[in-house]
Amino acid sequence: MPAAQPRTDSAFAVEDRLYAALALVRVVVTLNMVGLNAYRRDNFDHPTVALAIVVALVVWTGAAIWLYHDRARRTPALLLVDLAIVLAAMAVTPWVKSPDFNATIPGFWVMGALLAWAIHWHWRGGLVAAVLIAAADLLPRSEVDQGNYGNVFLILIGGPIVGFMCASLQRMARERDAAERAAAAAEERTRLARAVHDGVLQVLAMTQRRGAAAGGEWAELGRLAGEQERSLRSLIRQQDTVPQVAGGRVDLAGALEAMATAHPVRVEVATPGGAVLVDAHVVSETVAAVRACLDNVAAHAGDGASAWVLAQAGRDEITVSVRDDGPGITPGRLGQAAVEGRLGVVSSITGRIEELGGTATVQSGSWGTEWELTVPLA
Amino acid sequence: MVRVMVVDDHPMWRDAVERDLQAAGHDVVAVASNGREAMARFPASAPQVVVLDLQLPDHSGVQVTSMMLEHDPTARVLILSASGEQADVLEAIKAGATGYLVKSASSAELIDAVTRVADGDTVFTPGLAGLVLGEFRRIADGPADDPRDQLTERETEILKMVATGMSYKQIAARLVLSHRTVQNHVQNTLRKLQMNNRVQLTRWAIEHGLDEGPA
Repeated sequence: MPAAQPRTDSAFAVEDRLYAALALVRVVVTLNMVGLNAYRRDNFDHPTVALAIVVALVVWTGAAIWLYHDRARRTPALLLVDLAIVLAAMAVTPWVKSPDFNATIPGFWVMGALLAWAIHWHWRGGLVAAVLIAAADLLPRSEVDQGNYGNVFLILIGGPIVGFMCASLQRMARERDAAERAAAAAEERTRLARAVHDGVLQVLAMTQRRGAAAGGEWAELGRLAGEQERSLRSLIRQQDTVPQVAGGRVDLAGALEAMATAHPVRVEVATPGGAVLVDAHVVSETVAAVRACLDNVAAHAGDGASAWVLAQAGRDEITVSVRDDGPGITPGRLGQAAVEGRLGVVSSITGRIEELGGTATVQSGSWGTEWELTVPLA
Repeated sequence: MVRVMVVDDHPMWRDAVERDLQAAGHDVVAVASNGREAMARFPASAPQVVVLDLQLPDHSGVQVTSMMLEHDPTARVLILSASGEQADVLEAIKAGATGYLVKSASSAELIDAVTRVADGDTVFTPGLAGLVLGEFRRIADGPADDPRDQLTERETEILKMVATGMSYKQIAARLVLSHRTVQNHVQNTLRKLQMNNRVQLTRWAIEHGLDEGPA
């Protein structure tokens, strides 16, 4: 599967960086090892052998840095040899120095192999290497003092922890890679969708135009194309704002578009552009009130009526205007309906908005009927 | 008769728009299918009105709009768009386009729009009016020291009516104003928007030290 390839790549990249850092650590601990052994050169029973061992360790350090540099050379055999050299150098210490030696010849130089095991085999590798090194350090000693115990304890704790961290880093790199790939794929899909949508919209708009010009059955086809074109355009605008839904807040503009598209009345929605994030309850109630306005248009303004919805958003309030081009409401009819107990419009529009602490006003004239719903934002 | 240039990457649309305009007695002086062609043919053909699709394969329509108007400030740009991508439309208007129409508009609406834009009038859709209102609202809610012009109450009122689908005639009747006054108010909103865009650009330049010439 080609998708698996970059995963291992990112994990390898992390491993490469860790080994590069380890190379630096190796240089530091080697300088330390050489310095300390030179300083304690009088402690050795066999100084010539000791010198040979130190030189061998320095040579191996150089070799190890070079060997670990290439992924292909990082084989289990290399790690085994690396650790074996550490253990051997520790094992010969009592004979080279003296049976009651204090520090082993490699000393802190053991960290090179220990960390390599932690990087390669994670916490298990770190633990195994730490246990072996601890054993090699403690077993030849006739007595264990607090310093020896402290060093061994730190190695046993540190090995597995560093291994665990290496595993976490690699996992995070893989996850980040996967997320980046998903984002890139989504972006590409959106780009392709835009191209496809644009083409479809062009054709639908053209069908509508030609159909209207040709008349008859073609006009009906054109009208259907027009409906689909409006739905698709509205859908694209909603899609643009979908990912921004967050923290109990919902996009009012998108919700109005969605409702208006599904409504049987021919509606055009104008929004401020982009998402209008408002409390979810405010959105659902406002959309319900606007739907009631449109239901009213369907019931009273006649078949050919169109409606327009305008959403505006300020810092402190949102305003939604709903206008239709119907004949308008005769003055006092709403009030009369309220008196007669037919409160449908009042409760479903005014009631909802007032419950949100807002106001709903209605105006009517030769130009149609216009509701203006204003809701304060807490 | 208006000298018109049609820029659209879909041959089907280019032909249809060209045919409609010629049938209405206008002179289609040039057509182009992308931004590069449009910019190459614009200076020689010197159209009064450019009917421009925003979704062009190379340049964005916004860029083409500002380049054309920089070259000839007396030209008028009418955006004709299929998808109505909101951000692009607003940017094109800020860059100086004075009209916006969706492609589902009828031939009669298109021809009417071209004539009006050529006369210096502005052609708004309800959707565009909503975007412009939103833009001014954002300026109003922004920092208090923002030098950009606000809409007057009357301009806001009229733009709201445009955004709810009212014609200039209906607005004039409802507000007891002349048709010409309504037209002027709508034109002013666009002029302010375009002016504000320039102020913003200038301010950005000053903030970034681009106004200082070589010492």
